[in-house]
Amino acid sequence: MNANAFWHFLTLQLFKERSKHLSVIVISAMILFLLSSVLFISSSIRFSLEETLKVQPDFVVSRVQGGISVPTPMIWEDELIDIYGVSNVIQRVYGRYFFKAKERSFLIVGVDFLEEQSHENLQKLIAKTDIKAFLNGSKMLVGEGVKTYLDAHFYKDDYNFLTPEGTFEKVNIFKTLPFQSNLIANDMMVMPIDLARKILGYSEEEVSDITFNVPNPDEWDMMTDKVSALHYDLQVVNKKDVQKSYENLYNYKGGLFLILFLVVLSTFTLILYQRYSMVYSSERRNIGLLRALGWSINDVLKFKFTETLVIVFASYILGVFFAYVYVFVLGAPLLKEVFLGGQNLQNTLTFVPVLDFSVLTSIFLIYALPFIAAVLIPVWRVSVTEPKEAML
Amino acid sequence: MNEVLLSNQIIVFLLSESTLFILLLVAFVVSLKVLVKWDFESFMPFQFALERQAYLVSTIILFVFVMKFILVVYFIFSIDALSLLLPGAMCGAGVIKANVYGSYLLVLKLSILFLLTLWFYIHYYDMRTKNHQWFKHKSWLFSLIFVFIVLELGLDFSYFSNIDTHLPVSCCSALFGQLEGANPLPFGLSVSLLLVLFYLLYILVILSLKSGYTLLYILTNILFVYIAYYAVVYFFGTYVYQLPTHKCPFCMLQAEYAYVGYLLWASLFMGTYIGLSDAISTLWLGKTDPKSKNIVVWLLSLFVLLCTAYVAVYYLRNGVLL
Repeated sequence: MNANAFWHFLTLQLFKERSKHLSVIVISAMILFLLSSVLFISSSIRFSLEETLKVQPDFVVSRVQGGISVPTPMIWEDELIDIYGVSNVIQRVYGRYFFKAKERSFLIVGVDFLEEQSHENLQKLIAKTDIKAFLNGSKMLVGEGVKTYLDAHFYKDDYNFLTPEGTFEKVNIFKTLPFQSNLIANDMMVMPIDLARKILGYSEEEVSDITFNVPNPDEWDMMTDKVSALHYDLQVVNKKDVQKSYENLYNYKGGLFLILFLVVLSTFTLILYQRYSMVYSSERRNIGLLRALGWSINDVLKFKFTETLVIVFASYILGVFFAYVYVFVLGAPLLKEVFLGGQNLQNTLTFVPVLDFSVLTSIFLIYALPFIAAVLIPVWRVSVTEPKEAML
Repeated sequence: MNEVLLSNQIIVFLLSESTLFILLLVAFVVSLKVLVKWDFESFMPFQFALERQAYLVSTIILFVFVMKFILVVYFIFSIDALSLLLPGAMCGAGVIKANVYGSYLLVLKLSILFLLTLWFYIHYYDMRTKNHQWFKHKSWLFSLIFVFIVLELGLDFSYFSNIDTHLPVSCCSALFGQLEGANPLPFGLSVSLLLVLFYLLYILVILSLKSGYTLLYILTNILFVYIAYYAVVYFFGTYVYQLPTHKCPFCMLQAEYAYVGYLLWASLFMGTYIGLSDAISTLWLGKTDPKSKNIVVWLLSLFVLLCTAYVAVYYLRNGVLL
């Protein structure tokens, strides 16, 4: 058969029966839209977290007693510096500061601004900040979410922290942190380390944890062993562990959704099976005519299959396209909250567009395979119609 | 809770395999009925009904045939993505060796693809005869494929549900690299002998294919795949990675190496599948497709050229060999 005539006939047929196909395409596109949005959000967040993680320090050392984190003695820093292959050893002081009445919290991060930082973004930020002006008096850098929250509560230029000793500590807002780091820095307040100690109630010789970098990644496993052998109550976490736990968290969210989605998918498949059985039985006459005109069973099968494939691809492209617009252009209103959790400060985050082979193939497989499988038997049933039978 | 089973790709993969299995089960039941009752000389309405049902079986298998190829690529891709979750794994090699099922599963998948290609050839010839001359041949072949696919589905589930994410696995350099002086190559070959054998076998494959010594061709092509695997892992791979100690068949499937592994392995295996299927149908059915032979020559030459190009480009850039 001439390929052009075949395609011409196919388009004519599709156009003539458009009302039959349109409903299937709309429903499929809706289901695909939901599925793709969730997978897009999940992969975009994973991508952002990985990007954030890339600039984090490689190792974090803290003191854990009986499974509970306690302040880490500052003296450990000197022991770490002595290990060959370790660089950028930095002490950190951080913790959450709660507004008891509102059940909201800020993450306070104390930074020694005069030392080199192991966190690359912090290093860049400090390079841009006018340190002399910043260290002159109590000042802090705040995240976007913190700034909005404080503005709404009339703390436009400064905030009065209540220290554990019961005294007030007035700190001026120096600048807002850059917008790109919102996933992590939204509720962050960055301030000089001594000030953070005072607000969080640490003594002069204590820090929250100590970070360091090991430039050679092949040494990471060995370094983990070596450092954890220093003290019995020392806990060391490296970047790979953190990456793994993030991966698990988002696999969990996406996986749970997919498993629930299977229910929708199986219902959809059953409906498709029913519908196509009905639609095709009304088409028996047409098929009989084609067969009487000299089409073989294979020709009819090929024709019906191509028709199905056109529908599958049309709805796939539509569904994925709308999901792309919804997630990456509109910023996924409503659905975003499921993934980010909106209990604390309101986060204004935009998703970085990520389209990878794995997500697109996953969507295609989970949708197209059951679709075609459901349609296959009805297609066969109508294709083998005998011309004589159909004319009766 | 097994974290591996929550990974999105694994869920999609297992779901797809199961859907295909249900379809194949339908096809298998119908096919058995048709096979037992088949009598082409009969003019009873029952025989015509059987002939119509045979169309269902072949339609399902053709659909599965296409999907299985996509799914193998997807499987390897998911395995690679899992390497992040397993301590110690840096690519698919460690994940495949995470439990005993992995390597069998991979070999089984590759064999099923070959059998499906062979089925496709017999089906192609069968559809062009007026009396469905090879119907029984292809149905028996399908029954064999179905047994393998049952096994494969079982292995799929046991493999993925038995990956322990807390147990460290070996990375590829431990599996293929440092063997403390032991020679990993078959028949006690050295790397230079391996290379000589690789190119000689390639020439022999092309010659035997062109001159029509089918049996010789089958033997040399099987041997060629075997030798080519070792040649890529222990010699050509090191040029892909540009590191003399990096010996791994899986790392080249990653983005760092521009996914060249997919092209490399696909050209080798597709070439072999097509060539062997054509050769077996020549011996079995007495039918040959001259176009297939050209495709085989193209694919295998692409594979050899690609391997050689990595070495050549490295030499031209650096003036030394690894």
